[in-house]
Amino acid sequence: MRVLVLAGLSFIIFKWVLIPIRAEGISMEPTYKSGSLNLVNRLAYRYRKPERGDIVAIKLAGPHVLYVKRIIGLPGEHLSIERGQVYINGAPLGESYVKNRRPWEVPELVLTSREYYVIGDNRGMRAADHDFGRVDVSRILGRVIF
Amino acid sequence: MSRRLAIPAAILVVLVGAGIFAWTTRETSDEREIRARLDTLRTEVNTSTKDGIGTALHAVQIGSYFSEDAVVELGDGAAPIKGRDTVTGMVARLQPRTAAFQMKLDDVTIEMTPGSNMADVLLTASFARRNISTGEESLDAREYALVMTKADGTWRIARITAIDTLR
Repeated sequence: MRVLVLAGLSFIIFKWVLIPIRAEGISMEPTYKSGSLNLVNRLAYRYRKPERGDIVAIKLAGPHVLYVKRIIGLPGEHLSIERGQVYINGAPLGESYVKNRRPWEVPELVLTSREYYVIGDNRGMRAADHDFGRVDVSRILGRVIF
Repeated sequence: MSRRLAIPAAILVVLVGAGIFAWTTRETSDEREIRARLDTLRTEVNTSTKDGIGTALHAVQIGSYFSEDAVVELGDGAAPIKGRDTVTGMVARLQPRTAAFQMKLDDVTIEMTPGSNMADVLLTASFARRNISTGEESLDAREYALVMTKADGTWRIARITAIDTLR
């Protein structure tokens, strides 16, 4: 009976609360290396909103393939990237987690009340090879906790 | 309730729950056919052919998964690809490059009215490729909306639209 309960609890936890994921690709380096195992807390945003600096899992057609990105822009903010430097409402954003920077350019945009701006930590790669941009809040599945 | 009764009762509840879940999520034969069709398309795409005639036949084979008036919209400012022949031609031209790709299809959801000859499909396609010079493997995942139609008993892709998850 105890084994059954434990198996049931593990199933519930790893299916609906903490989702194990394996990072593939280099867009979040050096924070997450390709092949690293991480956990996504699906309940992280039940009682609070996503914050700048949070690393989040973003769903595509479903929960089996996810983007893992860092939130740098919040709803309603003006954001631009000039020569690799991110500006929020005109002020430069300090990003200690970025180790290499290429001169990416993103013209100023305004996020709607449902949008966050997400990007990977690896800015040393070509912008064309990197998926980043605005995402609707409904696509944020949870917070990557390690 | 005594312990002797509690265990069988719990097992019964789990079994009934599983039965209800299986009943409510069961697929129709058309949905199973669409899944099988996409699965064979994936296998076909992942089968590389490098010799001339083989390449052409392979492209025709992949083209047969598309309806005659199929439209493929890949976004990013690219012009839509229209017609099965154009799709087949592009597949033939791209094959030396796509041979280095491995395609995976995940999170396939199918919406259709039972008995209808049209289905809306949503899926995530992932393309893993190895850089020939560096040996580094990269993965590109994207969400696609498909419209599939059934003609002469066969499901074919009538439209593919790439969805921008991040804009």
